[in-house]
Amino acid sequence: MTGRPGDPTDALIERELERYLVERRMTRRQLLEAVTALGAAVALAPIVAACTNAGLAPSAAPSTGPSAAPPSIAPSEVAVASATPEPTPVPSPEKELFVYNWDAYIGADTVTKFQDQTGIQVHYDKFPDADTQMTKLRSDGKGGGYDVSYPASTELPSLISDGVVLKLDKSLIPNVSNLRPEWTNPAYDPGNAYSIPNYWWTTGYAWDPAKVPGNQTTWDALFDPASKGHIGMLDDQREVFAVAGFKLGIDPNTTDEAQLDQMLNLLEQQKPLLRKYTDDDIGDMTSGNLWISHAWSGDWYQMIADKPNIKYVIPTTGAVRGNDTLVVLSGAPHPIAAQLWINFNLDPQISAANTNYIGYMGPNAAAEQYIDDAIKGDPRLNPPQAVVDKLVELIFLPPADLDKYTQRWNALRA
Amino acid sequence: MASPSTPAEAAAAPVAAPTPTAGRRPLSERIAGLVFVAPGVVWLAIFFLAPLAIILVVSLGSRDAANHITLANPSLDNYLRATRPEYLPAFANSLRYAGITTILSILIGYPIAYWISRYGGSRKILLLILVMLPFWTSYLIRTYAWMIILRDNGVLNSILLTLGVISDPIPILNSDFAVILGMTYGFLPFAILPMYVSIDRLDGHLVEAARDLFASGRGAFLHVTLPLTMPGIVAAALLTFIPAIGDYVTPDLLGGAQTTTIAKIIQVLFTSGRDWPYGSALGFLLMVVTLGGTLLALRTLRREVIG
Repeated sequence: MTGRPGDPTDALIERELERYLVERRMTRRQLLEAVTALGAAVALAPIVAACTNAGLAPSAAPSTGPSAAPPSIAPSEVAVASATPEPTPVPSPEKELFVYNWDAYIGADTVTKFQDQTGIQVHYDKFPDADTQMTKLRSDGKGGGYDVSYPASTELPSLISDGVVLKLDKSLIPNVSNLRPEWTNPAYDPGNAYSIPNYWWTTGYAWDPAKVPGNQTTWDALFDPASKGHIGMLDDQREVFAVAGFKLGIDPNTTDEAQLDQMLNLLEQQKPLLRKYTDDDIGDMTSGNLWISHAWSGDWYQMIADKPNIKYVIPTTGAVRGNDTLVVLSGAPHPIAAQLWINFNLDPQISAANTNYIGYMGPNAAAEQYIDDAIKGDPRLNPPQAVVDKLVELIFLPPADLDKYTQRWNALRA
Repeated sequence: MASPSTPAEAAAAPVAAPTPTAGRRPLSERIAGLVFVAPGVVWLAIFFLAPLAIILVVSLGSRDAANHITLANPSLDNYLRATRPEYLPAFANSLRYAGITTILSILIGYPIAYWISRYGGSRKILLLILVMLPFWTSYLIRTYAWMIILRDNGVLNSILLTLGVISDPIPILNSDFAVILGMTYGFLPFAILPMYVSIDRLDGHLVEAARDLFASGRGAFLHVTLPLTMPGIVAAALLTFIPAIGDYVTPDLLGGAQTTTIAKIIQVLFTSGRDWPYGSALGFLLMVVTLGGTLLALRTLRREVIG
């Protein structure tokens, strides 16, 4: 690169490169993309490593998503293209896809099968918690360079109004017809214009019956001094306050200061009994650190793979129901590949394989026949309609109302 | 560290060695000095001052209804909110962990540094490499390793159970002890290296002279070695305390419900709280307090200890 024009070494390298590209049926543009993506990956590696479970990355690296690769291509691509004509045509407009998701969240073969079927190379990045996810997706206001992510449904209204997500082209997602009727027009995104529902779950709690005897039906066991030092709550402010709400008979979406103070008071009484506010309910339950832990239903399903005797309950006094979604980010470098990914994950067998892996039920009617009976037939993972009807969804709060929670959450934690 | 010393040398040089041009160095030398110092200044400006300025500006802002940061009405409100007493326990935790970690690192590190310097012989370099060896593995991975060692079904509990010392696993992880252990483990090399340099530079003849004048071994250490290596101890304390007070990873992974630090509070404001202005204010305030406290401590130490 640095040699003078006409330098024999340079000419040789140029020829070799040309030959390599032709052999690999690669265009210069693709080579540049590959090199830049590699560079971005190398540069990102320490940051990604540092942020695993630490949540530091969003503030430390607001603009260093994989976006660093695709957008930076443009100028150099133009320069190269004008210097020499493209040797081979670009076989397909989009050969890559950047997915940003939870760890261990989809079927073990889902990525491989998608790559085999479409020839699109999937770059799969993971986040440790939803806060990290949101901070990164919002870092540049258009998705941090990712194509597809899995935000919780409660985030959708603000993601849509802030222009972080792209309106879906349903002609690319014919499998949308597989959705159950009750999932075709959710309140958070009417008509599924910007998102496709992915999984749904409950938030209850898991316990080890060897340490915590009895059949639990209420939230009381999480406040029982008998388990002191071995109780865990999720490191999630809205979910924790919701538990206090259910115990006190207060709406978990309340924004009333007096009610919030009551909830905080109850949680402050609980705190001395706690071992931790956990990011890793699965690991803490299977290692025995916790005897009883506030948990998501799918996490319990993963716990019992290691420790089959662990139990889970959706308390009858009220519990949270949530669902997540598949969205295309507004700054997606590969929006078509992104929608192909969404369509692929709505395929009955792929959708069922995802559910069979993680234990969360999906909204896919056509997938039902392929779902394991252990999941489909378990009322803790697939509760009957009468139970579902009583579950509460956490709604998105505007800044002024969210502050009421955050201030109390920090006061509780400090 | 090399660059900032250049202007100091440049300033001191005329006094030390007057030149024919009456206290002014030749232009070429002054340009050379600027060239040497420029990379450091540019580096600090881009990677320290600019981010700091951004934090400062954001901390004066507020959020609109759509949760976007706006600077329409800059104010100090966020700083007033940041001084709320409810965060004091978390700040006290941060100070306590950093303080204990610093003291332990010096108490454990000084004898190691002393031993390597005095008895390391031809293996000094090897021993110093061993001190730095842990840095070859990511700090995060080493902290996870501590989680595996300390958890209820972990290595330590298994050994104690097998030996019959305990009959039920004892909770070690998610405690003050685990946090302090992890932090001391992590920061120890930062304490050893400056103390080693200081001890190694100490002129052995001074200790011999003290012994010749009938000082006991203990007396020579207390009155000669320790005061002369005090700069190394102070450097070790600073290199440990300052990063320790803002440490987020160790308390978060090894700590529990009762060990929240101020860094965690700031993290909550930036993530689930979505309040970057407030988080920036609290972060900036923490930095000012740390810096102020450090400068104050240094001045006192210089007067009282270093002399």
